[in-house]
Amino acid sequence: MTGTQRVVIVPCSGIGKTYGTVSREAAYNLTQDLRPEGTKLVALSLLVLGDEQACADVAESPAVTIDGCKLACASKMVAQSGGRIAREVAVLDVYRQHRALKPEGISELNEAGQELAQVLAEELAEFVDDIESQDGEGDHA
Amino acid sequence: MTEFLETMVDKFTFKVATDRLYSDDGLWAMAEGENRVRIGLSDFLQQRSGDVAFAEIKPVGAALARGDELGTIETIKVNIELVSPISGEIVEVNPLMEFEPEHINQDPYSTGWLAIVEAADWEGDSANLIDPHAYFGRMKKEAEEEAGNL
Repeated sequence: MTGTQRVVIVPCSGIGKTYGTVSREAAYNLTQDLRPEGTKLVALSLLVLGDEQACADVAESPAVTIDGCKLACASKMVAQSGGRIAREVAVLDVYRQHRALKPEGISELNEAGQELAQVLAEELAEFVDDIESQDGEGDHA
Repeated sequence: MTEFLETMVDKFTFKVATDRLYSDDGLWAMAEGENRVRIGLSDFLQQRSGDVAFAEIKPVGAALARGDELGTIETIKVNIELVSPISGEIVEVNPLMEFEPEHINQDPYSTGWLAIVEAADWEGDSANLIDPHAYFGRMKKEAEEEAGNL
């Protein structure tokens, strides 16, 4: 990663869906709390609308997509917008690895859902660190 | 090669395979040779239930009466008890169910099958199942009702 380039985080925009809410909670935890300097949150709806800045963000930086269901709208939209997906995550796959954390609720996630979002955010924070360290090595080469 | 009846309701397309029978609950049963019957979920049931997170099917050797619990699936929306459409003994469980239950969603009539049962009374049990055309009609009506089209 060179200079100010950040990893772009694009979560699901599914409103009214529990797993979509988990994806957004994870994205907020990652971009606001865990790695605010190394990441940038891009709203999927802006990509759908063809927002210039959002499209430029995904075109210029590696993207992490967090999808709430098999439709994989976040991943598809980033690809369609000319972005480079560094990692695709599906919330359901994360839940499969953490069955005790069954998310419930929509506008407000239950405790398990919030914990699942945090687990996902922490996994992605490590991934962001890996990208940064790889790019750092590249910068020194 | 399997043929399908197909309908589109709202934005969803539902398929019914024509080479097997169906229970009222939306499970299919397909006879394969002598008394071996493969069981799975219909396309409508899997779409209505949502993405499958976990599938737990009773183990090989389990004896089932028609109406017994064959297993359960947990989806992103609901937990569903799967009711066996036939009686007999489970002789094979789809190994994909343990770690890749998403096959139920991806290919419910093929790789997403659940189990094979050595039927105790296929002739009797199959008389309680419905043919694909009848199931297609019921399924379509149900789908349209849920979509608010009726």
